[in-house]
Amino acid sequence: MGEEKEKDESKTLRFSPKLLELLAKFQEIELEDVDLEVDELELWIQPSAEVVAPAKAVTPIKAKPAKIIELDFKPPVMEYPGKIVEVKIGATKSEGGTRGKTVTIGGEKFPAYYLFEGMMPHLPVLSLDVFDTKIPLAKPVKMHVEDVLEDPAAWAKRSVEKFGAEVVNLHLVSIDPLVKNTPAKEAAKTVENVLQAVDVPLAIGGCGDAHKDLEVFEKVAEVAQGERLLFNSVTLDMNIKRAAEAIKKYGHVVIAFTAMDLNKARELNRRLYEILPKEQIVIDTTTAALGYGLDYAFTVMERTRLAALMGDPELQHPMSSGTTNAWAAREAWLKMDPQWGLRELRGPIWETVTALTLLLTGVDYFMMMHPAAVKTVRDTVAELMSTSKADASKIADWVTVKV
Amino acid sequence: MSMFEDIPVGVGVIYEGERIRKPDMYVEFGGPDIEKKFELTKVKGLDNVEDGKITVVGPDIKDLKLGGSYPFGIHIEVAGKQLEPELEGVIERRIHAYSNYIEGFMHLNQRYDIWIRLGKKSYERGVNSLQVIGKVLQRLFKSELPIIEKIQITFITDPKKVEEMWVEAKKTYDARDARARGLKDEEVDSFYGCTLCQSFAPTHVCVITPQRYANCGAISWFDGRAAARVDPKGPVFKIERGELLDQSKGEFSGINQAVKEKSLGEVTRVHLYTAFGLPHTSCGCFEGTAFYVPEVDGLGVVHRDHKGVTVNGLPFSTMADSTAGGRQVDGFHGISIEYMRSPKFLQADGGWSRIVWMPAALKERVKDFIPKEVVDKISTENDVKTVEELKRFLETKGHPVAQRWEAALAEAPPAEEKEEVPAMPLAAVATMPIAGGGFKIILKKARISAKKMIIRTVKKKE
Amino acid sequence: MPKKELSPIDVYKLLPKTNCKECGEENCMAFATKLVNREATLQQCPPLLQEKYREAFSKLWEILKPPVKEIVIGSGERAAKIGGKLVMYRHEFTYFNPTAIAIDVTDEMLEDELLKRIKDVENFTYAYIGQNLKLDAIAIRSTSNDPERFKQTVKKVIENTKLPVILCSFNPNVIDPGLVVAAKNKPLIYAATKDNWKEMAELASMYDSPLAVFAPNDLKLLRSLAKTLLEFGVKDLALDPGTVPNEGLGETISNYTMLRRSACREEDELLGFPLIGVPLVVWSNSKEMLEISSWKETCLASMLISRYADLLIMHSFEGWALLPTVILRQNIYTDPRKPVAVQPGLKMFGAADENSPLLFTSNFALTYYTVASDIESGGVTCHLLVVDTEGLSVESAVAGRKLTADKVAEAIKTTKVEEKVKHRNLIIPGRAARLSGEIEESSGWKVLVGPLDSSGIPKLIQDLKAQPPKA
Repeated sequence: MGEEKEKDESKTLRFSPKLLELLAKFQEIELEDVDLEVDELELWIQPSAEVVAPAKAVTPIKAKPAKIIELDFKPPVMEYPGKIVEVKIGATKSEGGTRGKTVTIGGEKFPAYYLFEGMMPHLPVLSLDVFDTKIPLAKPVKMHVEDVLEDPAAWAKRSVEKFGAEVVNLHLVSIDPLVKNTPAKEAAKTVENVLQAVDVPLAIGGCGDAHKDLEVFEKVAEVAQGERLLFNSVTLDMNIKRAAEAIKKYGHVVIAFTAMDLNKARELNRRLYEILPKEQIVIDTTTAALGYGLDYAFTVMERTRLAALMGDPELQHPMSSGTTNAWAAREAWLKMDPQWGLRELRGPIWETVTALTLLLTGVDYFMMMHPAAVKTVRDTVAELMSTSKADASKIADWVTVKV
Repeated sequence: MSMFEDIPVGVGVIYEGERIRKPDMYVEFGGPDIEKKFELTKVKGLDNVEDGKITVVGPDIKDLKLGGSYPFGIHIEVAGKQLEPELEGVIERRIHAYSNYIEGFMHLNQRYDIWIRLGKKSYERGVNSLQVIGKVLQRLFKSELPIIEKIQITFITDPKKVEEMWVEAKKTYDARDARARGLKDEEVDSFYGCTLCQSFAPTHVCVITPQRYANCGAISWFDGRAAARVDPKGPVFKIERGELLDQSKGEFSGINQAVKEKSLGEVTRVHLYTAFGLPHTSCGCFEGTAFYVPEVDGLGVVHRDHKGVTVNGLPFSTMADSTAGGRQVDGFHGISIEYMRSPKFLQADGGWSRIVWMPAALKERVKDFIPKEVVDKISTENDVKTVEELKRFLETKGHPVAQRWEAALAEAPPAEEKEEVPAMPLAAVATMPIAGGGFKIILKKARISAKKMIIRTVKKKE
Repeated sequence: MPKKELSPIDVYKLLPKTNCKECGEENCMAFATKLVNREATLQQCPPLLQEKYREAFSKLWEILKPPVKEIVIGSGERAAKIGGKLVMYRHEFTYFNPTAIAIDVTDEMLEDELLKRIKDVENFTYAYIGQNLKLDAIAIRSTSNDPERFKQTVKKVIENTKLPVILCSFNPNVIDPGLVVAAKNKPLIYAATKDNWKEMAELASMYDSPLAVFAPNDLKLLRSLAKTLLEFGVKDLALDPGTVPNEGLGETISNYTMLRRSACREEDELLGFPLIGVPLVVWSNSKEMLEISSWKETCLASMLISRYADLLIMHSFEGWALLPTVILRQNIYTDPRKPVAVQPGLKMFGAADENSPLLFTSNFALTYYTVASDIESGGVTCHLLVVDTEGLSVESAVAGRKLTADKVAEAIKTTKVEEKVKHRNLIIPGRAARLSGEIEESSGWKVLVGPLDSSGIPKLIQDLKAQPPKA
């Protein structure tokens, strides 16, 4: 089956008659992509002529396969010398706290969702952000919590009951000397109120001022002794010794937060190890929004997890992500040209894609805001971890699907 | 910072870059108009230092004339179990930074070049005595360098005393420099590893030895030693020397062990003094790179600041890409400029006698350390622009690498053999001479695939 | 990951060493360096293409070839290169050939609908950090299963767009006429399966077209088919292990991961081909709302981009759904070794005028966007001078002497900000405090050291308004 130069539309080329006819007409015929099957073919080689000979006279031209060549596939399973520690957040009554349930993260022995190597022991945890004072929020987020913005306990309750938060992140932003400079005692009271309002474990966020945060953390740690709160966070410019001691004394756990820098993360952990056992530390190497540095965050996290599994003793912790940072992206909250759709869809999907991308690096703890994003991540995790066999027949005919 | 509540002006990083202009200054210490000035740090025994003591020998600030310039000396004495004389220089360099943290107080340069100014505003707010400066410095030194257990400071403004102490200070500087230059890698029991710039180069560790500076050019072995002492949990850590496995190439078992651990097995052996085989790795902030020029079997060197291309037509940035990222790439090697001044510089490869090209500006900087026999035989961008010109230059000047060419010529280049070609769908053409009357090839039950098949009518020979 | 680090010297040894400059480089060593950095290709060296260097060429080809083959779909200015991956993880080097995104059309669409859709796809663009993010191909699905209909549709598409096309049908009798019409444009044939592989292979060989292989959730079959097709003589393959959504997601992600690792780490040449993902599968559930399906499709696409898909076939044309996909793709395919920089210059925020404050920052993209975001969300009206620090953050640039007083003074001059602003007060980043005095000297402006973190900018500006600095 080939095509002749004069655009003959005939499907098959009968060798003898037609060709001879053509040869009578033309001096030379050039055929492209010729496939000949012959019973017998004779080639005459004349003296002093250039000969076309097969390069390897020994090897015959390979026959094309008539049926599928059956081969095996061996899953490329690897061994990892390292393992991620498990960190528990929250404490039930019998454990010294007042939570109805606790969560445990970490314990991985393989990279994220390398299910061909094994199943992870714990699912990632989805937590929602709650603030202790009214803060500006993007419209798609605000509409869900507008009426509880000034009541952290009610806001926390809604996060759990309506949006399925497994942990509540209470950000005590009002303690910032440049905001309300709320004293530690009062902040601790807010924490108590929220603890009373919900049954799930709590994470406590500071305001970013190293001195005030430390002061407040120490107070809150003391007041909430036994609750195994997750403190968000300790950083390199804090008095690490004091912070770690408070965490240790009152039995809490902490997020070690650094810039997107593996070495800084290692350094902070090294200092924390002087006081805290590894099982009380979670790592956060900073999350940047999709389009505004997500690739850096992604790569640092992927590297952190891989290095930990390859044996790096200073990075073997579950990872945390401030996925709410996705809302810093202009595209998430800005009113754009109609081509780019409504903010009500764009914003939440921005947070979702940020989360899903980092999910694949092995993030164990997500801090999020929009209910739709939270739901999608939850559903995705459930799908990823589903033990029922994938039914390929469902997509066998995708090409003909009518949309 | 709360530890400075009693200080009448601000203290913090924010004031680091302040400049005080002449009309704004209350008083000037040292500087270009004054001949004798110095700052000196000495490590003393714990019993010889009175912690917190501040002495002013001569007039204090409030006794000086507004707008005047004065000879000046700062003498700091420190003591601590972990301190040793080798760390004096490291501590001394910090006087500059800490002084600048004081609002309205400017400090430039170091050693016998210091230039200090106090601003009028700060004077009016209460910085009218060197006691204030002393307090701030002591607190900063102790909080930033906890290995300093005791610190006492003497400010000297009496011109005669300044001159006396200046002589002592100069002796100390000279002795330090001599010791630093004389210290050999084999003589110390430990080196220092630095992972400061590992962020995008996770397999990289810089090994800092007395004779091989850190690639970034910022950290000497002494700095490394001080940093590891001060902050054992920080990015600079001690590496036990281990056994010396290869003197010429610079291989130590301790270094191999350390890089193996830190790079999680990616890099297992390092040769310190060579650009070939298993060179020391680089991250991304090295000051310069050595690169192989195969046409002349020599090495070129180029530094980051060099604009434009090198003799091989590539700029610094392209070659930097070859060696960056913590990889061991044969023939491409990141280095610091200080390493070029070291006697161990690329010693396994022939040292300076293997260097064929470098930028003129760089040559100027390290000229004093290039052996007299080769210094004029090393070309710069002013001498040659291409590899061909380079070859001629080296030949004319009688550069040592030229001798290597003769040795290489003795080895015949491998002949281009016609080997079996990997089978491709179309068989390659081979011309065969035909003997005699020709022959027939009969193919039975064959299948022929051809991209092109030409059927040509052949005119009968008459 | 390359087993041994490839040195330009290894490459140089195999080159002709003529220093003839025909490749565009000064000499063979320079060319060797560029080859290793993947900034040049072997084809650029004319002497190397000669018969006598055949062996050297093959050796070079072997050591330089990517574990995942690069194949080209389409022709002309919008031909799409897919695959060509050197590493599994982007941090090991960098990724090449961003995931190609193909949007579908069917052969049952009305003509004007069809034409509009392909034009929209061809013209889709989003300006982002100095690049224009675009879509890459049209996937023509035969839902009619009618060869003539398919042929007509393919013809229309080919005539009306420069984009590469993917011919989608499992029926060789449908593909054949489509291929006849589209052959010159080098389409991708989708796809060979265990039932039609022979016919598809013949079509692919005949037209020298790249051929997709579809073996849903059966890697053994996929590998067997790949071997069979290669033996048959098909050269360019693209593998589709099946995008099974919902409870199949875990295995799907696992399959893509296994395939990429097999190619890159185990060096399995049979699996060293680009991977195809089909987020479009979510549209099989026709009962769902448009928004839900689009949402799900985007989520699935994002995961496949991160997990090794070299080509995606998608359906939704909703802007809000496509935007995150194209931006994520751009992000993942950024060279992690090179800092991302924004254009230096003068930016205005709000209705900034001649009395508005002036701040400066570095041109590292991350820094710039963080600063800009803090300014915008704080509602600050000001000018922002973006100084060229070669893509380094303020802190790194100060330490690395890329941010100097002279650079700042130069930026002030080049942007002519002195004509736009009446005052001479410059607010500098807290992390550049060290340069405050020098900047005053170089620029002649009065310097105010700002906060260490840009989140403090709104407060600073507020305070300044209350107590303006002396002029």
